Amino acid sequence: MEGAVVVGTSAVRVQGLWKRFGQQVAVAGIDLELPAGNFIGLVGPNGAGKTTTLSMVTGLLRPDQGSVEVVGHDVWRDPVAVKARIGVLPEGLRLFERLSGRELLSYSGRLRGLPGNEVDRRATQLLDVLDLAGAQHKLVVDYSTGMRKKIGLASALLHNPEVLFLDEPFEGVDPVSAQTIRGVLERYTASGATVVFSSHVMELVESLCDWVAVMAAGRIRAQGTLAEVRGEAPTLQQAFLELVGAQGRDAGSHLDWLGGGSR
Amino acid sequence: MSAVTGAPSAAPSITPVVVRLKLSLLRNGLRQSGGRRAAFIASAVVALLFAALQLLGLIMLRGHAHIASVAVIGVAVLALGWAVMPLFFPGGDETLDPTRLVMLPLRPRPLVNALLAASLVGIGPLFTVLLLVGCVISVAHGAAAFAVAVLALVLTLLVCVALARAVAAANIRLLTSRKGRDLAVLSGLVIAIGAQVVNFGMQQLGSMGLGRLDPVADVLRWVPPASAVGAVDSASRGSYGVAVAQLALTAAALAALLAVWGRSLNRLMTSPDSSTLQAVDAPARKRTREGGGGLARLLPSGRTGTVMERSLRYIWRDPKTKAAWATSLAIGLIVPVFNALQGTGSPYFACFAAGMLGIQMYNQFGQDTSAFWMVALTISSPRDAYVELRGRALALLAITLPYATLVTVLTAGLLGEWSELPKVLGLSFALLGAMLATGAWTSARFPYSIPQEGYKNVAPGQVGLAWISIFGGMVAAALLCSPFIVLVIWSSLSAGGADWSRLLLPVGAAYGAGLTLLGLRLAAPRTAARLPEILTAVSKG
Repeated sequence: MEGAVVVGTSAVRVQGLWKRFGQQVAVAGIDLELPAGNFIGLVGPNGAGKTTTLSMVTGLLRPDQGSVEVVGHDVWRDPVAVKARIGVLPEGLRLFERLSGRELLSYSGRLRGLPGNEVDRRATQLLDVLDLAGAQHKLVVDYSTGMRKKIGLASALLHNPEVLFLDEPFEGVDPVSAQTIRGVLERYTASGATVVFSSHVMELVESLCDWVAVMAAGRIRAQGTLAEVRGEAPTLQQAFLELVGAQGRDAGSHLDWLGGGSR
Repeated sequence: MSAVTGAPSAAPSITPVVVRLKLSLLRNGLRQSGGRRAAFIASAVVALLFAALQLLGLIMLRGHAHIASVAVIGVAVLALGWAVMPLFFPGGDETLDPTRLVMLPLRPRPLVNALLAASLVGIGPLFTVLLLVGCVISVAHGAAAFAVAVLALVLTLLVCVALARAVAAANIRLLTSRKGRDLAVLSGLVIAIGAQVVNFGMQQLGSMGLGRLDPVADVLRWVPPASAVGAVDSASRGSYGVAVAQLALTAAALAALLAVWGRSLNRLMTSPDSSTLQAVDAPARKRTREGGGGLARLLPSGRTGTVMERSLRYIWRDPKTKAAWATSLAIGLIVPVFNALQGTGSPYFACFAAGMLGIQMYNQFGQDTSAFWMVALTISSPRDAYVELRGRALALLAITLPYATLVTVLTAGLLGEWSELPKVLGLSFALLGAMLATGAWTSARFPYSIPQEGYKNVAPGQVGLAWISIFGGMVAAALLCSPFIVLVIWSSLSAGGADWSRLLLPVGAAYGAGLTLLGLRLAAPRTAARLPEILTAVSKG
C-alpha cells in the first residue's frame, strides 16, 4: 500500500503547537504535515497527547500556541472554511444520545445546512451500509460501543467532508463492526479524501495506513510513509517500541516464580 | 413461614441467613462513610419522630367521630407509598435484587419467606409499625377489637412489605435498565409535587372538616390492606361477621401478593438476563416518517427548526431536562393557582409561571453535556450562534408563552380580578423576555456541566459558576424588568393609570421581545468566540 502515497498538497499543516493543562504539558510544540488523499495514522501510547492534538486540530480545544491549517485554511482565523470541510469523531465526548440514530443524523445534517431531502437520502444509505438500519429508531443511549462509533462515523461523513478526523475509531469495537467501518473508510479515501485517525493498535495502523505519525509524551517522534517510519524494523510494532523507548523493558528476569514448577 | 417447616428434605432454613445478610449490608453501608452514617441517623430520627408524633396524635383522636375514616385512608396511603417506593428508589436495598442470589441453589418458596423476613428489618418497616399501631389503637374499642387489631397489624405490615417486593420483582428488568435509572431522576419531583398536593389537601380538610373523608373511606375499608383497619373498626362496632370478611380479604391479598412475587422470582432466577441480547434484532418499529416527523412539519425550516426540534425532544426524552421542566411547570402552576383557590393569592403570583420557565433558558449548553461538540462544529460565525440561541429560545417560548398565558388567565379568573389581567400578562411577558436575554448571555459566559448520573445538577468545582449564572442572571433579569415594573406600579397607583392599564399588555410583550432580541444579539458573538471554552466547561460531568 505504501506505493499509493499521494504527495502533493497537505491536508493538515501544524506548526509549533503547544498545550498545557496546569503543570502538565500535553502537547509540546509539535509540527506535522499530513499529505492529502491518504489514510493517515496518528499512533502513540496512552497519554501521548493524541486526543489533545486532534481536539486542537479540529477546533474543539484552543491551543496555547501554534497554528493549524486544514486544507489551506487556518482553523482559528477562518472557521467557516474549515468547519464545512472536516468531519470529526471525537473520543470521550457524548453524542446527543436521547435522539434515535436516524434523528441524530437528521439533526447533524440539517445543522450543517444540508437540504432536508438530501440529508434523509444520505442518512438512509449510511444506516444501510453501516448495518444500523435495524436500530435506526432506537435511542443512541441504548446503542452498544460499536454502534455508537458507527453512528458517530455516519454523522461525521454525512456532509461529505474533505478531511475526516477519527479519535480511536476502533476502540472497543467488535470485529464485525470494525470491518464495516474499515470498508467505508477505504472506499472514502479511494475517492481522494483524507482520513486522519488515532490508535494504539499497531497491526491495524500497519494494515490500513499509507502515512504514519508517531507521538509520545507530547512530541512527534517520527512521521512519514509507513515504509519510512518502519525503517529497518520487521514490523511497525517493533519500530514503534524503539521510537517511544519502550524496547528492552523485558519482564523476563522478574516474575521468575510465575507459571510451572514449584508453587 | 410454613413452607420452610413443610420442606421434606429438612434443609436448614435460610431465613436467619438472609436476615443476617440484610443486617450486615445495612451495617457495612453505614461503615462506608461518615456522610452516609449521618444521613442514615438523621433520616431515622426524623422518620421515628414523625411516626411517634403521628402515633400520639392518632391516640389522642381516639373516639373522634371520623377517626375510622382517617385511619383507613392513612393505611391506604401508606400502602400506596410502599407500592411506588421501589420504582423510585430501586438501589435502596441489595437483598431486594434477587438476581444477585441466582447462583445459589435456592427454591422460590423458602426464598420468598426469607426475603419477606429480611424486608421487615429497617427504618421503613419500623415507621410503618408505629403508624399502624396508632391507626389500630385509634379505632379499637373492646377486647374483641383489640384481638382483631393485633391480627390486622401483622397482616397489614406483611401486605405492605410484600407489595413493595412484588412490585420490585415484577419490574426488576425495568429498574436495572436505563429507563429505570431515568425514572429515578424524577423521584425528587414526584415527592415535591406530592408534598404540595398533600399540603393543599390538609388545608382543605382543616377548613372543611374530616367528614369529607367518609365517602372515600367507605370504599377503601374494603380494599386491602386498609380493609384490615376496617375490620378493627367493624369489630369495635360489634359487626364481627363484617370484621372477619375484611380480615379474610386482607389475608387473601397477602397470599395473592406472595404468589405473584414467588412467580416473578421463579422467572427471574431461571431465565437468563437478556438485557444485552436484544440489541440489533429487536424489530424496528414501523414509522411512517423518514426524517423529521410530524413535529418538524410545524417548525420553521433550516437551522432554527432543527434546533427547536432537538430542544423540544430533549424536554421529553432527557431525564434531567424533563425533571427540570416538570418542576418548573408544576411550581409555576401550583403557586399561583393554589393560592388563588385559597383566596389568599394575587394575580401577580401568575408571574411565577413565566419566571420558573424562564430559568430553563439558563445554562443552555450545559444541558447539552459534552455533546455540545456537535453544535460547536457547526457554528463558525456569530450569525450561526445567533440562530442556534434563537432556536433554543423559540423552543422554550413554544411551551412557555401559551402556558404562562393560561396560568395567568386561570389565576385572574379564580380571583375574579379580570381587570388586572392585561397588566399581569404584560409583566409576565416582560419578565420572560428579560430571563431569556440574561439566560442566553449567561449560557455563553458562565456555562457549567450538569452531571448525567445522580441527583446533582452541578459538577463538583463549578458550584460558584452555577450560582453566578443562575442568581446573577435572575438579579440582572429583575433589574432589566424594573422599568416595566415601575410602569405597572404607576398605573395601579395614579388616578388616570387605570385607563392605561390595557396598553400595558402590548407594551410588556414588546419590551420582553426587545430584551430577548438584545440578549441574543449580545450572547451570539460571545458564544461564537468561546466555543472551545464552553465545550471544556460543559464536559466535566
